[in-house]
Amino acid sequence: MSKDKDSKEIQGYRQQPGKLPFSKPGSGGKNSFSKPIDLENIPVSQNGRKDQPWGPHRHDSLISGQVIGRPTALVDSAWKVTGQAQYGDDIRLPNELIGRIVRSPYHYAKILSIDCSDALNLPGVVAVATGIDAKNKFGVLPVTKDEHAMAVDKVRHAGDLIACIAAENENIAREAERLIKIEYEILESIHDIEDGLEDSEYPIHDRGQYHIGNSNIQKRVFQEFGDISSLEKNTVASHRSNWTFAGVNHGFTEPHAVVANWSPDGRLTLYTPQQVPHYVHRSLADVLEIPMHQINVHRTFVGGGFGGKSDPFPHEMCAAILARKSGRPVRITFDREEVFWVNRGRHPSKIEMNLHADSEGRICGIETDALIDGGGFASFGHVTTYYNGVLHTAPYEIGSFHYTGARVWTNKPASGAMRGHGAVNSRCAVEVGLDDLAEKLEVDPITLRLANLLPPHSATITGFRVTSIGMRECLERVKKESGWSEKFRKMPLGKGIGVGCGFFISGSGLPIHWDPNKFPHATVHLKIDMDGGVTIHTGAAEIGQGSDTVVSQSVAEVLGLPLDMIRIRSRESDTSPVDLGSYSSRVTFMNANAAISAAMKIRDELIKAASDITGASLNSLIVGDRRIFDKNDPAIGVSYLEALHKSQEEKGALISSGAYRTPPMGKTHKGAAAGLAPAYSFSAYVAEVSVDIETGKTTVDKVWAAHDCGKALNPLAVKGQIIGSCHMGLGQVLSEEMRYGRSGHLMNPDFLDYKIPSIHEMPEVIPIIVESNDPEGPFGAKEAGEGPLLPILPAVCNAVYDAIGVRTEELPITSEKVFKLVEKKCRLQGISNPLDLKSPRLEFSDLQNTLDKRAQLHSKRDIERRLNSNREEYYNGAIFGLEPTKSPEEIDDNWSVRVIPEENYLLSPRLAGSAWKHIERRNMGD
Amino acid sequence: MPPFELYTPDSIEQALEISGNLSRENKEFDWIAGGTDLLPNYKWHINSKNYVISLSSIDELRKLNNVHIGATVSIYDLANSPTTHPVLAKAANSIASVMIRRSGTVGGNICLDTRCYWFNQSETWRESIDWCHKCDCGTGADCRVIPNQNTLCVATYQADLAPVLMCLGAEIHLLSHKGKRSMKLEDFFELDGIKRNVLFPGEFITHVSIPNDYAEWIGDYQKLRQRDSWDFPEAGVAVLWKTNPDNTIKDLRIATTGLESIPAIHHKEVGEALTSWKGEDSVDDLADSIRKAVKPVQNTWFSPNYRKKMVKVLTKRAFGNLLVE
Repeated sequence: MSKDKDSKEIQGYRQQPGKLPFSKPGSGGKNSFSKPIDLENIPVSQNGRKDQPWGPHRHDSLISGQVIGRPTALVDSAWKVTGQAQYGDDIRLPNELIGRIVRSPYHYAKILSIDCSDALNLPGVVAVATGIDAKNKFGVLPVTKDEHAMAVDKVRHAGDLIACIAAENENIAREAERLIKIEYEILESIHDIEDGLEDSEYPIHDRGQYHIGNSNIQKRVFQEFGDISSLEKNTVASHRSNWTFAGVNHGFTEPHAVVANWSPDGRLTLYTPQQVPHYVHRSLADVLEIPMHQINVHRTFVGGGFGGKSDPFPHEMCAAILARKSGRPVRITFDREEVFWVNRGRHPSKIEMNLHADSEGRICGIETDALIDGGGFASFGHVTTYYNGVLHTAPYEIGSFHYTGARVWTNKPASGAMRGHGAVNSRCAVEVGLDDLAEKLEVDPITLRLANLLPPHSATITGFRVTSIGMRECLERVKKESGWSEKFRKMPLGKGIGVGCGFFISGSGLPIHWDPNKFPHATVHLKIDMDGGVTIHTGAAEIGQGSDTVVSQSVAEVLGLPLDMIRIRSRESDTSPVDLGSYSSRVTFMNANAAISAAMKIRDELIKAASDITGASLNSLIVGDRRIFDKNDPAIGVSYLEALHKSQEEKGALISSGAYRTPPMGKTHKGAAAGLAPAYSFSAYVAEVSVDIETGKTTVDKVWAAHDCGKALNPLAVKGQIIGSCHMGLGQVLSEEMRYGRSGHLMNPDFLDYKIPSIHEMPEVIPIIVESNDPEGPFGAKEAGEGPLLPILPAVCNAVYDAIGVRTEELPITSEKVFKLVEKKCRLQGISNPLDLKSPRLEFSDLQNTLDKRAQLHSKRDIERRLNSNREEYYNGAIFGLEPTKSPEEIDDNWSVRVIPEENYLLSPRLAGSAWKHIERRNMGD
Repeated sequence: MPPFELYTPDSIEQALEISGNLSRENKEFDWIAGGTDLLPNYKWHINSKNYVISLSSIDELRKLNNVHIGATVSIYDLANSPTTHPVLAKAANSIASVMIRRSGTVGGNICLDTRCYWFNQSETWRESIDWCHKCDCGTGADCRVIPNQNTLCVATYQADLAPVLMCLGAEIHLLSHKGKRSMKLEDFFELDGIKRNVLFPGEFITHVSIPNDYAEWIGDYQKLRQRDSWDFPEAGVAVLWKTNPDNTIKDLRIATTGLESIPAIHHKEVGEALTSWKGEDSVDDLADSIRKAVKPVQNTWFSPNYRKKMVKVLTKRAFGNLLVE
């Protein structure tokens, strides 16, 4: 429609202007008056008063001072606190059936036959399904699809799925379970992680030509970087340890629950509390053999995920299969015990950790060997095997890195991804190792760290591109606020203080299921109509972490709107653009970036409209609270709604789409992609503990927890994440473990005996937010959901050492374990009463001075680097005297990259390294 | 949870009539009050019955004063009543969590079912270990804790009130449609994790009575557990004593819980120690002899070895006040 220049040309009826009282639309929002711009919230780069010690950011000009950086209640919190949020089991569709899973009582067995006839004949049973109803495999990673909806040939752990039943009610379904007759041939099961390395008559899975020997090794990794050849010569002090970490479960509040319903038009809707709805969507299509567009995955409210709801699950397939068979909605809700059967918790691990320091107090070598227990299925394990190594190549500059890792199948519930995925255990070992190394070098462990940090905008030894780094500030803050210098090695027996650091990815750099160069990681759609409210469509999964809130905040900030004008539709795959989901701490970084980019397009349209109305130039218009105005003369401007209506004249509702894709990063060696991320978070904690010397009971008294999240878009949520991470990490360090009995059974699949710390065990946590202003993060933000968990484990372990002088190499450190260590120490020292033990003390050596000076120099270096946008490259290795601007492999022949072991290594491999003794079947010859 | 028929009599007479009728009809039933022990077990299909009689509407059973503690007095009320002996209040206050203390009752705590890693599991879990002889009697299953012994069940008694009550010399009063009887609390328990105590089907606890000298007893209750909430005692030691006017020890009682199938009062060890009491040294020796007297097995969170060693530490700590004076 063209604009009428001459009213005589009007054909047909038009409402004559002025005849009806069309008033100006106002500003939108509840408050009729726009707030003036709060300069305290506008960065100095935009002539505001908000300091930017880390320099300006590319999003500075988008800041309207509305919501970013202010403590904000989560947008869905009212639903939760009033009990109206619908979680998986709250979905009640008319005419529903109750589904139950029939599970294996055996650890490992072939299924010879299944007879469901009696069950089907039981009145009230509507459908029964078994493995033959769904033969296609699925799995979260395309390279390791090894799961079926129900066992097809054999069961791989006690609790593995064999059949499922849909009945009129739970009691009938339970009765029917008993009527299904299954014949088994019991196979010899594997429970010990080390047995998984050996050849087996019946490996738990068959990987075909890629199978590693006849073993149960699912994945093996070998990596050598840096100057390995000089390691022995340069080392003056070493730490060596052999850790055993028990497996832990996420312990989320809401047990898994799923509802499946086929609508009359032949489409499936699956209601499920999922962190990663898109991968379920794909798996459902594979398993059910229907196109993806026939499926609507509806993410319900999620009662906690922590990685435990990020795989596509067999029970989700079962519900869909039963619903298809019965023609009725089917609801399956797990008991807590079933949650433990599906597990996907942190891998039980055996980790050898050796750290070496040279005479200058530099970390000239990290040698890690990690054998991790995958249980019966692959899950995310391929990635976990890498993460156990590569995620501790920072924040320290290191001279060499040797990593061997292996993940084995055993006949236990599958391990998978859990908050801090793959990084937690080895990080604990590294940080405890550094504490010991500091002791051996007779220096302060915080100084040792401060003198060995990578600078901002550098490359790690394995080639990760690290951008913003707030590690130094984190360490300095916790040191100061905890009163470290007055306490460390100075407290009385039984009282101790310890430090630990963390480093974590802020979004996995590579999507799991597609070529990153072809599709974005995250997409956000916006729609705004006459009412002025903004509807956000995103597939980012709100799992309680605040994803809906952070995306809403980002849009609100760019458009200058209060949060209540934003509504978010993130639940259904029918309406949301594809998002990879809530794992690897990717949502804030990727989804908020996509949201900002979508909102910028709308913002441009609104500014254009405001310019058309006011005649002000585009460049002079800025966005404030529901008002667009001339920055030079704020009196010239229009309300948000006026601008909106103007831009709607020709096309109705405004819509836009924004996307985010990571930049190309990293090296090219095999496995180089694992651990790549567009940014990384850093954290440092100090924990103060009391240890009851006679009983071994450890009480954590106080934690100072500093985390570099780039920019706290919602400080309230960031603090919540820090405190929550502390609680979860404390569980693993103090009392949580999946304990297997001598018969191979999980002895504690319930919350009485799986011991999550109570409020009594929870110390006061002082959250300290460090904002390093990441150049690529949305408004500078990085992750805060997983990284904050890492430091608490080593901080507590190191504090226990400071208190009583014993070092654990086993988690959890229950009072019984500490007691044994104390007993042993008393025996060694010939002391009968543990109360007579001496508290550890430390006199610093001359090296302390050297390190102090280096730390000060590096501190200056780091500030210069972070503020200088024309900075030169910095490669790990410069601290050892190499040219910083060149990759060390290019300039020093001793620095190497190796991802396959040499024959020499195989003569005496470490534990996980012995996985390389096997030959892959395809290389075996005939 | 398996369905059951629930009776809620509001008088003792009605309760007896219902229980009498059910007994005559050979219908098995359970008593319930707070339900915090029974219902979790029912949910796991552990020895569930088709009939359950609730005692919670009977006012007479809720009487509480210095010398009388009704069976359905809540643990919370016991812990917070000014009439409760301080050591008993401490033990009560350490039970489970505040929510469970609000529901759970004194009678229920005394009758707490014995616990074992191989027993407190779901039905499918128990089936996968081919049952155990406590939970699924009649399957011929062996004991999973100590295989090849099928005589006694070694499930652990993990309730906190009994040791303190035993030290106070409490008597327990029972009632059934056949009549009433009373006995010392220490005689109430029977050394077997299945039988547990002298109650026969249809019999229930009406109250516990405390002898009049309760105020003369001072002491402490010490408890070992992983977490300071929720967890059952892995070991519990009550030590109560009376002193002479010159502050020398006049009488002493020690009882333990969480270590065997029944709580135990240690008359023999205490008697020997009192014959030649030498203060702190005697405490050390006595604590050691208590450690030797208990025989925990591997069926709870901590190992038996650790629990035994902690019995000594807890015993010494419970003596803390005595030694200070």
